Amino acid sequence: MKRGIIILLFIIFCCSYCNSYGQLYFTKNGRISFFSKTGLENISADNNQVLSVVNMETGALQFSLLNNAFFFPKAKMQEDFNENYMESDKYPKSTFKGIITDIGTINLNNDGNYHVHVKGDLTIHGVTKNITTTGDLIIKNGNISATASFKVLLTDYNIKIPTIVTDKIAKDITVTVSCNYEKKL
Amino acid sequence: MRKKGRTILFILIAFALFAFVIGFLLWNKPHVNVKDADAVTTDAIALYSSFMSDSAKAKSAFLDKVVEVSGVVQEVSMNQQRQQVVLLKTSVPGASVNCTMEQNRNKIKPGDRVVIKGICSGYIGGDREMGIPGDVFLIRCYPSI
Repeated sequence: MKRGIIILLFIIFCCSYCNSYGQLYFTKNGRISFFSKTGLENISADNNQVLSVVNMETGALQFSLLNNAFFFPKAKMQEDFNENYMESDKYPKSTFKGIITDIGTINLNNDGNYHVHVKGDLTIHGVTKNITTTGDLIIKNGNISATASFKVLLTDYNIKIPTIVTDKIAKDITVTVSCNYEKKL
Repeated sequence: MRKKGRTILFILIAFALFAFVIGFLLWNKPHVNVKDADAVTTDAIALYSSFMSDSAKAKSAFLDKVVEVSGVVQEVSMNQQRQQVVLLKTSVPGASVNCTMEQNRNKIKPGDRVVIKGICSGYIGGDREMGIPGDVFLIRCYPSI
């Protein structure tokens, strides 16, 4: 009898453990790019080492990246970005922690493109701001990918542009997110 | 007097041209040539462990430096820019040294022992509660052998 209870408890524990990971998807090689149109030269950069986790049950969503992993077409742009604007030594990471507010509308068994709303805390350059944006979750054969695009105002994150180039650099940048998730087993 | 003015003008133009050329060269300077750069050598297990045990020490030894890492391939995949991503095994299950290749090599496959050279961008912690360990990341990688 005692043995039976222990086995039953073990089974319950295993089921709850499996269930906690059941709806969890992640990637460590997501992509975040940004683009800024300027009078001098357009600025763009890609980071393909974005860690992201999404819980399809609760809608909890997080992103984390290393600022120095952004690759720019020009070495000098990359140097300026890390040393003068982002101060990557001091603030090595940018993160987002939030929630997909309409996660309930998504059915993982139905392939399709789901337009979703996201809100949460975006931390860049040591400054955290609450943002809301929209994105798309694409479900295909049980695989999940996500895309989103939003603007970031540099002054919101205390990113200072040297006065000599203030007029030549856009006040905001367009950030594009693209992740292909795999299921956490 | 007129000659003096002309000389000053000439010096100013020469100075402006010189500044322009220097600025142009600086703006267009190439990225570090990872392939031929001197590298700090280590192996995947030691590199990962160093970030786990003493992050400050690991940063001063590896961060933003060209690192040559030896290790066993855990997984090979492609990212969204069609760059090869090679994961090297560490002593922590599910955690890797995550290398984004600048030159794809079809020959690399799981189980291979490889040496990869790239720039270490650091460590991103995963989500412990969710059982997702972090990785140490290398960018602009080349296979050394």
